[in-house]
Amino acid sequence: MASEHKREGAAAAALLAREAKALRGRLYGPVLLGLALALAAVAQALLIARLLAALLGGTQASWADFFGAGALALIMAALGIAQERAQTAAGEEAKASLRARIFARLLAQGPADQRPVGEKSALVVERVEAMEGYFARWMPAAIIAVVAPLLIAGCAALFDPVSGLILLVAGLMVPVAQAVSGIGAAQASRRQLAALQRLSGRFLDRMRGLPVLVLFNQQRAETQRLAAAAEELRQRTMRVLRVAFISSGAMELIAAAALACLAIRHGAVLTGAHPDPVTAFFVVLLVPVFFLPLRSFAAAYHEQLGARGAAADLAPLLEQPEETGLLLEEVPPKVTITFQDVRLAYDPSRPPALDGLSFRVLAGETLLLTGASGAGKTSALRILMGFARPNAGRVAINGRDAMLLKPSELRRLSSYVGQRAHLFRATLRENIRLARPDADDAAVLAAAEAAQVMDFAKDLPQGLDTLIGEGGFGLSGGQAQRVALARAFLRDTPLVLLDEPTAHLDPGTEASVLDALRRLCVGRTAIIATHAKAARSYFGQRLEIADGRAQDSRLAGND
Amino acid sequence: MTADLFRVLRLWLERSGWLIVGIIVTVISALAGVALLAFAGKLVAASVGGAESAALAAAGVIALLWLRPLILLRPVMRYLERLATHEATFRALADMRVWFFGRLAERLPTGLGLRRAGDLLGRLVADVEALDGLYLRALVPAAASIAVVLAIALILGAADPWLAVLVALPLTAALVLPLLLAPDAARAAEATSRAQGELRAATVEPLTGIEDTLAANGEKRALARVAQEDRALSGAQRALARRAAWGGAAGALLTQIALLAALAWTMLAGQPGMAAGVLAVFLAIAAAEALGLMPRAGAAVAAAAAGARRLFEAADAAEPVPDPAAPSAAPSGHALSLRNVVFSWAPDRPLVFDGLDLGVPEGARIALLGPSGTGKSTLAALLLKFAAPQQGSITLGGVDIATLPASVLRDRIAWLTQDARLFDDSIAANLRLAAPDADDAALWRALDRARIGDVVRALPDGLETQCGEAGARFSGGQARRIALARALLSPAPVLILDEPAAGLDAATELAFMETLDEATAGRSVILILHRLTGVERPSRILRLASGKAIAATG
Repeated sequence: MASEHKREGAAAAALLAREAKALRGRLYGPVLLGLALALAAVAQALLIARLLAALLGGTQASWADFFGAGALALIMAALGIAQERAQTAAGEEAKASLRARIFARLLAQGPADQRPVGEKSALVVERVEAMEGYFARWMPAAIIAVVAPLLIAGCAALFDPVSGLILLVAGLMVPVAQAVSGIGAAQASRRQLAALQRLSGRFLDRMRGLPVLVLFNQQRAETQRLAAAAEELRQRTMRVLRVAFISSGAMELIAAAALACLAIRHGAVLTGAHPDPVTAFFVVLLVPVFFLPLRSFAAAYHEQLGARGAAADLAPLLEQPEETGLLLEEVPPKVTITFQDVRLAYDPSRPPALDGLSFRVLAGETLLLTGASGAGKTSALRILMGFARPNAGRVAINGRDAMLLKPSELRRLSSYVGQRAHLFRATLRENIRLARPDADDAAVLAAAEAAQVMDFAKDLPQGLDTLIGEGGFGLSGGQAQRVALARAFLRDTPLVLLDEPTAHLDPGTEASVLDALRRLCVGRTAIIATHAKAARSYFGQRLEIADGRAQDSRLAGND
Repeated sequence: MTADLFRVLRLWLERSGWLIVGIIVTVISALAGVALLAFAGKLVAASVGGAESAALAAAGVIALLWLRPLILLRPVMRYLERLATHEATFRALADMRVWFFGRLAERLPTGLGLRRAGDLLGRLVADVEALDGLYLRALVPAAASIAVVLAIALILGAADPWLAVLVALPLTAALVLPLLLAPDAARAAEATSRAQGELRAATVEPLTGIEDTLAANGEKRALARVAQEDRALSGAQRALARRAAWGGAAGALLTQIALLAALAWTMLAGQPGMAAGVLAVFLAIAAAEALGLMPRAGAAVAAAAAGARRLFEAADAAEPVPDPAAPSAAPSGHALSLRNVVFSWAPDRPLVFDGLDLGVPEGARIALLGPSGTGKSTLAALLLKFAAPQQGSITLGGVDIATLPASVLRDRIAWLTQDARLFDDSIAANLRLAAPDADDAALWRALDRARIGDVVRALPDGLETQCGEAGARFSGGQARRIALARALLSPAPVLILDEPAAGLDAATELAFMETLDEATAGRSVILILHRLTGVERPSRILRLASGKAIAATG
């Protein structure tokens, strides 16, 4: 467990170091502005000290000092604005680059990563957002917190070395207090983000299935369960904050102690016996100036711990090797598919999905895969889509090992309609065009006609431009199925892979869709997984699968 | 903007105890800070007036002794203050998330419609989070600041009214500034939360349809969309941060003006005004801490208001069929009858039903046929009050369902929808949605009836096997049968089964239909089918066509 933490910590540190290196040039601005701000504050403290000393000493205070202090107040306001701007820019750059890479990896992992979508989106949105503080505030604050207090204590020492020393000692105690109070803070912050991730995952999942909850009158009970997840998030958040509060409390205690020490040292100013009242007021006024960069440091310290936690969660995703594999020079016009003794197990504790499946489909042939649900029909198609990798055996396209291809290249060969084809919140036209974004309206219309989409779309007030909701809201199951099929018609590839293409269709529509599919499959290689008896009369070759194996030993295409 | 924020506060009433305690602790802590520096100021001022007077010097030393515990008390007060205010805030936020979900469940029973799930998630997470600014960064500092300004005005007013005005005026400006900055910041805040919702939708959508995104080689387009939304979000955040920075700078400047005003007054007043002037200088320093953050409150209020707006926008969707104000008593029977029902989903959509008459007596077994799109699912939606007919009446046990709360119908009628979804939870938890108190034996019975018991028995974790999102860990047919088992487990006396045999191969389908009678003994069943297998033994066969139910013969 401990070594696991250490390894994760190291991965997080490596990730942050890599990103920080890329941003080094961005740091000068905020750091220099921060230092200028500190120096302006020192100068102002000196001017006000002189004014106070003069007033209390009964001598004439200088109006020049007064206006100097006023001018410095303006300058400090301007510097503050400039510094915040410079910091934001550095954070933005880091976030954009990380976000793009994390999302690309999540896409590349595809359906193999079975975490709920809400959790994955929390990685892309919240986790990356949590990294911002590290680059925008922690990195400059860490440098300023070393340099500025030294400068300020040095200025104080010029007037009174003992006062300078008091400030310096107090300053040195701050990082110690931070480190002590921050023990376990990174872990707490990770737990907080994990709780948020769980809440997101749960909410998204339940939102999508809201009708089911309502149908069973379970929405109240589910609200209670969601409340438990929200409560967990609250507790985790408070745990993180408590640590942060202790550390800022410790900082204030140190500042108060420094102030008390200086007050005792310069208490003589009260009796008018102080040899140098300007110094006395100056060093006392320097206390808040001295602690300001340390305060920003303390605030950023906790953001930094949060960022470390987020980095530890992001690092495993970024560490994964990039998708490799051969590229296709061009999409071959004809493909022959061969499965040889292919084995696939998703989960070692469950029986394998494919257990020595062998078959062959020659170029231009259509093969029906039949068998009970769970027999492995879908798995065979998923391998050809690169969604799953076989554990053993050989899958060949035109005689060459298909698994050598980069998965995204493999997909260029195929038009695929899965069992749970997803319709996006977009118009019917955009949903169909997804398959080939450069297709013109005529091609989309032709595909919609072929898949019998026009059958119902012509009755809609906006036709193909009707907006449909996520998951096909507004369409019946059979209508959504036809929209998904239209994508296959539009895509125009040598290989067609269809999983239960006629599920949810009534016999009349099924017949016309099968008719259209037969036309689609002409001249292409096609594999269709289906229960439907009707399909058998449309397509010749059939392979019965049971328990991940072909039931009849003959290889399709060999007879 | 204010209306939304007041509504948020009303929703937080339940937590008002915590919230008020937080404010009280903060005010006390801020006043302690003022007291501390007022003491110090008096001390220094006293030394000016009577430096020679030994008695006064002694008083100064005593006061200094008094001061020291106060100095150390301050950080402790601050710690308690932070703890109390944050505890209050996060309790209120957790409540808010629960309220939001409950509200969506009430308002969107038929599903999300054209809303984006990712965007709603953004509202639940980020927009609720933005509400913390309302209390933590606006109400609490405002209460503390008002107390501090009042205290300073009173202390100085006792010495010299003009001095009090001079110092309190810039401080009051710092108090009012957020109100002036808020409307402009509100626009930036709205853009930020909108951009965040868009970014989340851009992330969630391609990942939800991951197979289809990949199958279309759509990775590049999905990435480009995320990058674009990321840029939009950054731009909006930058605009908001700029306003916060301006506010922060203005706040710092105004407290400095108070300090300089006190100094100038002292310089002009000379020796007689010295004591009051020095006291004013120290009080101005005390005010800086409390008031410096106030102008940033403008941005915080704006962000909270934008969040609140987006939350209420989603939560205030019209209820599709509101429950009657004075519901009738639940009927004892469960015979259903539809008379002359006319319905269309929207005024510009064609009529689904045009004078539909249909009776489902208790214990009847009705087979409902018809091509897809003829309204078979719509019929079920009407029976369960997911929608209300424009004309005609529907009765349950002789009582018009328009006068019954929807929960009564949902207790009486179980509906296996075409897209029945499994949740990312165990098989047992998914099944128990239909019957929360069912024991394991009942779950197994339902699974066996749905012809999926053997598959589950072969799983190492059995009933505790996790289903994955939307049942992703099972094949489509298997997930469908678990959903069927869930519907069969329901104790409801009326079952509507939409294609119950989908996902079964022909032989299993026959076996399932043959035993359906036994599984549903004594209950009314409406079977929605594309075709009859010949073993259903329905008491009536109906076909839906042109908005009416017509008797058919399989």
